[in-house]
Amino acid sequence: MDMRDKDKYELEESNNNPINYHSPGGMPVDRRFNSTSIPNSSLGLIPTDNQMSVCRGDLAGAASCSSASVIDSFGPSMWEHPTNSQNLVFCDVSVQNIASSSNTVGIGKGVPASLRNGIDRTLEMGWNPPNSMLKGGFFLPNASGMLPQSLSQFPADSAFIERAARFSCFNGESFNDMVNPFGAPESMGLFSRGGGMMQGTGENFMGSGMKSVSGGQAPKNFMKAVEASKDVSMSVNHMATNKGSPLKNETKSDSLARSRDEAKQGMVGSGNASDEAEFSGGGGQDEPSMLEGNCRELSAKSLDSKKRKRNGQDAECDQAKGTPQSAEPAKGSPETQPKGDQKPNSTTSKDPGKQGKQGEKISERMKFLQDLVPGCSKVTGKAVMLDEIINYVQSLQRQVEFLSMKLATVNPRLDLNIEGLLAKDVFSPKMLQLHAVPPSSLAFSLEMPMAYPPSLPSQPGLIPTAFPGMDSHSDIIRRTINSQLTPMTAGFKEPAQLPNVWDDELRNVVQMSYGTSTPHDSQDVNEPLPPDHLKVEL
Amino acid sequence: MRDPSSFKQQFLKKWILGLQVCGSGKQNMSILERKEAIKLSADIALASARDGRTRWSRATIANASKHDDNKVLVQHLLESLKKSSIGLVVRENKRVRCKKILKWSCCVKRVRKSVSQVVLAKSIAKRMVNRKTRVLKSLVPGGEFMDDICLIEETLDYIESLRAQVDVMRTLAKATELVNGK
Repeated sequence: MDMRDKDKYELEESNNNPINYHSPGGMPVDRRFNSTSIPNSSLGLIPTDNQMSVCRGDLAGAASCSSASVIDSFGPSMWEHPTNSQNLVFCDVSVQNIASSSNTVGIGKGVPASLRNGIDRTLEMGWNPPNSMLKGGFFLPNASGMLPQSLSQFPADSAFIERAARFSCFNGESFNDMVNPFGAPESMGLFSRGGGMMQGTGENFMGSGMKSVSGGQAPKNFMKAVEASKDVSMSVNHMATNKGSPLKNETKSDSLARSRDEAKQGMVGSGNASDEAEFSGGGGQDEPSMLEGNCRELSAKSLDSKKRKRNGQDAECDQAKGTPQSAEPAKGSPETQPKGDQKPNSTTSKDPGKQGKQGEKISERMKFLQDLVPGCSKVTGKAVMLDEIINYVQSLQRQVEFLSMKLATVNPRLDLNIEGLLAKDVFSPKMLQLHAVPPSSLAFSLEMPMAYPPSLPSQPGLIPTAFPGMDSHSDIIRRTINSQLTPMTAGFKEPAQLPNVWDDELRNVVQMSYGTSTPHDSQDVNEPLPPDHLKVEL
Repeated sequence: MRDPSSFKQQFLKKWILGLQVCGSGKQNMSILERKEAIKLSADIALASARDGRTRWSRATIANASKHDDNKVLVQHLLESLKKSSIGLVVRENKRVRCKKILKWSCCVKRVRKSVSQVVLAKSIAKRMVNRKTRVLKSLVPGGEFMDDICLIEETLDYIESLRAQVDVMRTLAKATELVNGK
């Protein structure tokens, strides 16, 4: 079983067909499906090159064996390949759930549930983990005859499309707005939860895919400008040309990153600053937590791209998490199957020492991680948690890259224009009020920015790197700023006061910026201003 | 945990320092070069702000100092006493690697026989967890050399630091935008 999975995976990788879901799936499908007792009628489906058939599954088989892959619910022809991959990526958590619960049959809760299950499985197939649990969970290329049936199974397709079109996520609305209405009822259990989540994200991406396609050049150009990495180029290709790079060649992290990048960049590209996302997590409380987590991350990134303060997001995330927190005691039953490695009778050779005590240690730390990683509070099970953690770390790393690129575009000279920043910040009346600056230096600092604009262009390169032994960081900053400022201080009186002024103000700037995002525990007299004060005053 | 705002301040200061070290050398850097310099100095600043207390920070610094052109930057950013931490990391990694090799050579592959559904499910779950752990190890710098417990702790710390880094960078970018917009 594992072998077959690996083969299938390798096959996918080796096949460079852009429509890669079904064409390789056609061949190894037989092997896999034999093991899952899927009726052979479902196997005889020839993969077409139609992109629409990418996600078609066998509904007939689905009801009985829950292995149908019906991503086709996202029906419209503009449902492109790459967005499928995005779907897949974001539903990996749900698939993990399904896999971990190891229930390949008996999802006889009706066709929608099985369909969703199948969707999840097909999504799972799209990426890396050749999970042996997904015996049936691969993409069944479906004959076109199945299409109407599949469509009928998702009567809300047109509704999905409408909603996706309505939710212009690329115009700056939060993902949560799109996501919340799609909450699947929790009562359906893991599978439907995963399925509902997937549908939700599918709609998200469908909407975003549509938006991106319709968005035109701007997002594309911006995307190209922002990141020259392969991910972005792939995403650009995906969105613009509808061709899609070989999905098989992407790792899960890549596709996840790409999808997140697309979301991010799409957000940025739209340039709409009206992103007052009410991330009201309260909107869809019965929404699957993973979806919440994912969308919160997405929304977080979308906000990040608009340079919102993270504390706002965290606060909202915390609020939204407040309700699911009650579910956390449910996590107190760690001896579920995903945490199988805690069983003392584990025969695996990997962690012979990982018995009760160490397992508890790990669970403890996982609990900490749950608090840290947004959207993890509802999640039980190690594999899912790890998944969330991985996603989160990847998203943070991508954010860092994105921000560094952004800073690179903004700063032609790599000097971060600190003195300019401080000069501007000095003016904000609140800042001036907040710290005890002698009036003379106040007047002095007020004069500074007038000289800045003319003098900045003439500022000689960057300061020399001759740093003597560094006493403290503030000294360093002071010195660097001073050395940068000395050419400009020629016309100013009292340059001697400059060091103190700048030192204080740097501290104040930094504290003000960060004071609101963290519990303000310094003894500084500054009151923590909300970050948008900075904006308002400047 | 640690004081976030002071950590951020430290990070910011080190980062500015590093950028000045980076930028003074070359003129007319392309955008990609600038981005790499920014990112590199940010990463090193972040790692050094942890004062070598965490493995991932040491690993980051060690990786960065592998490239000769980064060494200057690293040395500027780290005080002299931190240079020893690089040696620590290298030694530690070697030790862990040796341990792993030993472990692999000794372990016996277990024979898979037909098992009940439950046991099968458990083993599959375990395998999944292992796979994910491997992915996580690839993400966290220096993660390949840690065992699971350490990995999770390091991940915790790393996530927090990354968050702080993102915050600082975002604030700076926003402020720069505002300044430039004026």
